[in-house]
Amino acid sequence: MSSGSAALEALRAAARDPRSYIRAWRSTHPGQKVLGVLPMNFPRELAHAAGVLPVIVPDDQEPVTEGRAFLPEFYCGYTRNLADQAATGRLSDYDALFVADHCIQLLGATDVARELDPARPVFLGQLISSLNEPWAVRKTAEMMSELRSEVERLAGVTIEDTALAASIRAFNRDRALLREVFDARRSGDSAFSPVELQDIVAAAQVMDPDEHRELLAAVLRDREATARDERIRVHLSGHLCHAPRRELLEVIEEAGAVVVDDDLWTGRRYLQASVPEAIPPMEAIAQWYADRNVAMPCPTRVQHDVDWDEWLLDSVHRSGAEAVIHLMPKFCEPHMLYYPELRRALDTAGVPQLLVETEHEGIPLETFRTRLEALVERAHRNRPAYA
Amino acid sequence: MTTTAAPAPERARRLAATRNGGQMVAEYWEDLFTARERGKQIVWYNGGAINPIFQAAGLAWCHGEAFAARLAAQQLEGPAQLAGAEYGYNAELCSYSRTHLGCAVLTVQGDEGANTGVVGAHDQAELAARLPAPDFFVNNYAGCSTGQQWDEISYRVFDKEVPIFNISHPFLWGNRPDAGYLKGEEWESASHYVRDQLVDLIAWLEKRTGNPFDWDMLRESMTYIKRAAELRREGLELCKSTPAPATFWDWISAIAPINFLPGNQELVDYFQSVRDEIQHRLDNGISGVENERYRVYFDGIMNWNKLGFLSRKFAEHGVAVVAGRYITNAFWQEPQLIDTEDPLLGMAQHYLLCPTNHGTRTLDYLTLRDCEEYGVDGIVFHSTRTCRAFTGPQRLLARSAQNTLGIPSIFFEGDVADASFYKDEILESRLTAMLEAIDVKRAQAS
Repeated sequence: MSSGSAALEALRAAARDPRSYIRAWRSTHPGQKVLGVLPMNFPRELAHAAGVLPVIVPDDQEPVTEGRAFLPEFYCGYTRNLADQAATGRLSDYDALFVADHCIQLLGATDVARELDPARPVFLGQLISSLNEPWAVRKTAEMMSELRSEVERLAGVTIEDTALAASIRAFNRDRALLREVFDARRSGDSAFSPVELQDIVAAAQVMDPDEHRELLAAVLRDREATARDERIRVHLSGHLCHAPRRELLEVIEEAGAVVVDDDLWTGRRYLQASVPEAIPPMEAIAQWYADRNVAMPCPTRVQHDVDWDEWLLDSVHRSGAEAVIHLMPKFCEPHMLYYPELRRALDTAGVPQLLVETEHEGIPLETFRTRLEALVERAHRNRPAYA
Repeated sequence: MTTTAAPAPERARRLAATRNGGQMVAEYWEDLFTARERGKQIVWYNGGAINPIFQAAGLAWCHGEAFAARLAAQQLEGPAQLAGAEYGYNAELCSYSRTHLGCAVLTVQGDEGANTGVVGAHDQAELAARLPAPDFFVNNYAGCSTGQQWDEISYRVFDKEVPIFNISHPFLWGNRPDAGYLKGEEWESASHYVRDQLVDLIAWLEKRTGNPFDWDMLRESMTYIKRAAELRREGLELCKSTPAPATFWDWISAIAPINFLPGNQELVDYFQSVRDEIQHRLDNGISGVENERYRVYFDGIMNWNKLGFLSRKFAEHGVAVVAGRYITNAFWQEPQLIDTEDPLLGMAQHYLLCPTNHGTRTLDYLTLRDCEEYGVDGIVFHSTRTCRAFTGPQRLLARSAQNTLGIPSIFFEGDVADASFYKDEILESRLTAMLEAIDVKRAQAS
């Protein structure tokens, strides 16, 4: 196995089996804490600077079993999976859970984790979600400061500004390298399949940033650019806080499409914004939070002058995508609320689109395949040969 | 196949006084529908009862959830929901928001509605199409994250042409050991944070309307509301008696007046009449349910399509639904917090006390407290299909009630404003089973 292949395998392993990665990390970092971070906006740099491994708790794609007793079936798949992880002890790898976002379903799952294991710290540091308010900057800064204090309490250390600045640089470098890969894909490189890219980003959400970057660099050294073929170019949109099933990504490309860009949580949404390095680190962390929604709008935030629909159209224009596939996790209310705005914008622009509602279990792949093939056919008719 | 035929005979003895409230509410809506003609500016809002501020700002106000609930209670939600569905809103989306956004779509379409082929609602005398377009949006939503997003989408449906003001509410999670119901640093800081935003809202309204805010009017209306809320609490206290002189369903009927009617003497008189009728029943041995045999707590937001039906169904089984989170722990439920000379802090605190804005630990405290104080035999959880905020902690609450107090519970599925989610057979069979279990427990204890 080449070094690049081995590196990719290591990334894949971390993405798909984060608990093994955590245990290995613990063995080399005795006495240091592992923090379970719940999506979407907790600044992991704070924990990293305290010597804590901040792991964004993923949907581990296990069937929901005992968790069914704690959340209703009309909660999204990710939150039901979290409740199941709590109910079956699969969150025991984390010394604490921190959440910075007010999503009522996410808080429901988090409360299940808190109730089932009262001894483990579970902290909500709610970042303001209405970002146009005159007090938004101040409230963000205050909450970031509170999060810093809470991390310090967990880790039993004081976070030095120099350490925080170093952590910011480490995460920025990793995000920058990831961005190069995604920008290359948008420009015509199809060296990586959507599943490979998802694994690479999902690994970044678990791993130490320096370790991740070194592995990714090794992968890139070993992987040559590959020109995109003539399949229908599609943009994947949605899945705001967890990964879509890998088999769904595979079916999309099998149906005659090639993914050229996305705004997925395990895609561009994770890496789009960096933390400013030229300003004091706490100020920078707060600025990063504000920048994220501009760099890639999220329907969980309220910001009147930032439009996901406009962003999507611009993105489609940049990548040359010929169609958009909306991947909407069933019961995701912010996505359900915003979807008509996306649909209207794409319809107006004449961009073919398909809404696929995804579920944690029981994805009807053959049904999706047929619908995807129909989308591909429709997009084909927009090509010049059909004009 | 679901059947919704009402059981007979009638064993529910609903309060007569609440009918007057129904009339007051009907007049309120009629007044709102013609507000534009009378030169009023109109605000659409969601969340906590911020209407006293609108009253003092000289505005007419429309509470989005209340309007959706009213449509559902009158079986008139269909056209708005269909318009929303055609626009693209998924059937699993909060049906309050789906109905209200459907109204927004219909309102935006305006006179073009007849040409869209969407629902034809505009040509009908349907309530959904009578909502006057807003001049402002104000979002005052605590608890559920969907609330703030919903108004932002309303703002976009109106092409960003209607000014909007958002009030942000910290979720009362209970991070610190000192946190608890009405106490702790988290409670204090959140209260002042929201209070400060109300000050900003008032300045924003003054600027937008061009009118100075009438602080005396605010104090006056909050004085009436505080008194009405005290009377409401007194009535709720009286319902701890066995048998209960009135039930949860009576209090559901009295939600609209306390939630959004103007603070005035008429409101006080209404709750005085409700309280007095309950006292009269107590004095004369009249119960809210004929031959009360069981006392039940109802957790869940109301199924507005089924209010009368559920009232009769439970009474048919001899069940007095005596309390519930949506009644006991909502709607100006802590009037002692209101300083009528300086009401903003107490108002802010009530917005934070939305029954979906607490972590499970506080809800657990409130639920167990109420179950004990009302002498409850069992809990019925309305698993409100499109309300994730209310349903999230329900399973944990059921577990706690069973483990702590030995109180059994059942779940039934329904929804706030979408009748399609209600399954009568499920409620019927589960309710019967729970009541039998209660009988067995009583027999074993005797």
